[in-house]
Amino acid sequence: MNTTPAPSRTAPATARTTEPAIRIQGLTKHFGPVHAVDGIDLTVQPGEVLAFLGPNGAGKTTTLDVLLGLTDATSGTVKVLGGTPRAAVNAGRIAAVLQTGGLLRDVTVEQTVRTVASFFGATARVPEVMERADLTRIARRRVGKCSGGEQQRVKFALALVPDPDVLILDEPTAGMDVTARQHFWEAIQADADAGRTIVFATHFLQEAEQYAARTVLMAGGRIVADAPTHRLRESLGSRKVAATVPSGTVMDAVERLTALPGVADVAAEPIGGDGEDATRITLTAQDADGAARLLLTDLPGRDLEVVAPSLETAFTTLTTQE
Amino acid sequence: MTFSMPYLRMELIRQLHNPFTLAFTLALPALMYIIFGASQDYGTMSAGHGNVAFSVMVSMAAYGVMTAMTSLTSLAASEASQGWGRQLSLTPLGTSGYAVSKVIVAFAYAALSLLVVFVIGAATGAQADGAWRWLLTAGVIMVAGTIFGLYGLGVGLMFNSDSAAGLASILLTFFAFFGNVFMPLSGTMLAIAHFTPMYGVVELARWPLSEGYVDDTVTDPMWMPILNVIAWTLVFGALVALGVKRSRNRV
Repeated sequence: MNTTPAPSRTAPATARTTEPAIRIQGLTKHFGPVHAVDGIDLTVQPGEVLAFLGPNGAGKTTTLDVLLGLTDATSGTVKVLGGTPRAAVNAGRIAAVLQTGGLLRDVTVEQTVRTVASFFGATARVPEVMERADLTRIARRRVGKCSGGEQQRVKFALALVPDPDVLILDEPTAGMDVTARQHFWEAIQADADAGRTIVFATHFLQEAEQYAARTVLMAGGRIVADAPTHRLRESLGSRKVAATVPSGTVMDAVERLTALPGVADVAAEPIGGDGEDATRITLTAQDADGAARLLLTDLPGRDLEVVAPSLETAFTTLTTQE
Repeated sequence: MTFSMPYLRMELIRQLHNPFTLAFTLALPALMYIIFGASQDYGTMSAGHGNVAFSVMVSMAAYGVMTAMTSLTSLAASEASQGWGRQLSLTPLGTSGYAVSKVIVAFAYAALSLLVVFVIGAATGAQADGAWRWLLTAGVIMVAGTIFGLYGLGVGLMFNSDSAAGLASILLTFFAFFGNVFMPLSGTMLAIAHFTPMYGVVELARWPLSEGYVDDTVTDPMWMPILNVIAWTLVFGALVALGVKRSRNRV
């Protein structure tokens, strides 16, 4: 009946192999004239939780599709646990929760999980993965009657069926409301603690911040940043602060502002007009409130302006820097 | 893995829960045979190597087979392109296992549809000279009817939605009316009918009974329905090729 036996699991991925979980070298993928992925290199070690962050059209989904063997690379090499993506999929060592949709609406939740489990010869795992994806209560419901969040949890259960070493999540919470999104990530996080390698694509900065130790920023088919998430957040989290002070107090103001932790790029520029002798001070600060407080209380600052960089501008900056 | 028994079983059972499949592929052809064949006085009239009831039964069985082929393949195609295909690509079953299961399901329901009509026919007075004519007719319907599998697949791939399956099946009713399937056409209508997609299949299916006799003024040579089937196979094949290209570009 089932020709593929369940892959035996004796040790967690971290202990079993020195191979990287994912190794991408010089990957490009072109759709006609469109360069969806334009030469990326990426290595993910076993046990890492990595976020792929980027705006729509950045090439995240295409990269993940190549990683899953759903589409072929135009050039470059992609290894999953040392082998081809297709081999890893067939052995159940890599699995994925793809973007919303893609289930049969007229089949029940449990039947969907059970059927896919039969392909892996893993029907014994059905109760466990149903429990872990929090589906036990809705096991008999038809998929079409499930909410978007519940359907994504069904797909999460399908991904857990082969007990994969690497789990890929492609914008798994797109279109969910805040509660559903939180509920979904709770299920994922409970699983991530077990030492699985997890790579997820998102365009929610917050999801990367909360769940990934490492974040890769993609834009225009390239990787524009690859850093520990907290470091990236610091650079994305700083705000531009500007205020006007009388020119006579500039030296003092610059000195005191520079002394604040997390303040950088302090600049002063005299502004003319009305016979007034004033100077506009601009700076970037991670603690924008502190800088603003100083400017308005101890210093004779006015016309205060605080601008938070949006994710879009951060991407633009990072892309143009490259 | 190119085949999975649990998957095939699930797909077979799914269609039993699909009211559309039940109504249009199983109930409708049988009902139409009963109304237009079995319960009519002309049913017992002689027609070639059997009676008129047999001729009507053959038409309706062919219609049922073509409907089953069309609706099941178009459903499969739109289902695959809506993401279930991607989901299965992440399992050892893969695309080929999916395709094999769907083809088996389409043939199974087509055969079931034919069986229902033939059994009712045999029980209500459809007659042909010799059991071999029944068997040959059934075989011709199953083989020639497969071109509508291509048709359904093509439409499903082209339009990528559940309504495509409905559209494909509704068009079949037109093909049947204008293809000399539901009721005998004559004159100009009959001349036009020769070029429509169902004409060839049904004419070949009736061949063991009629040997090309259509009405008192028209008798077709055998190459005519064969040419019709070949031509429409090419057209539907091209539709599938176009649909594959289109659905690839969409991704």
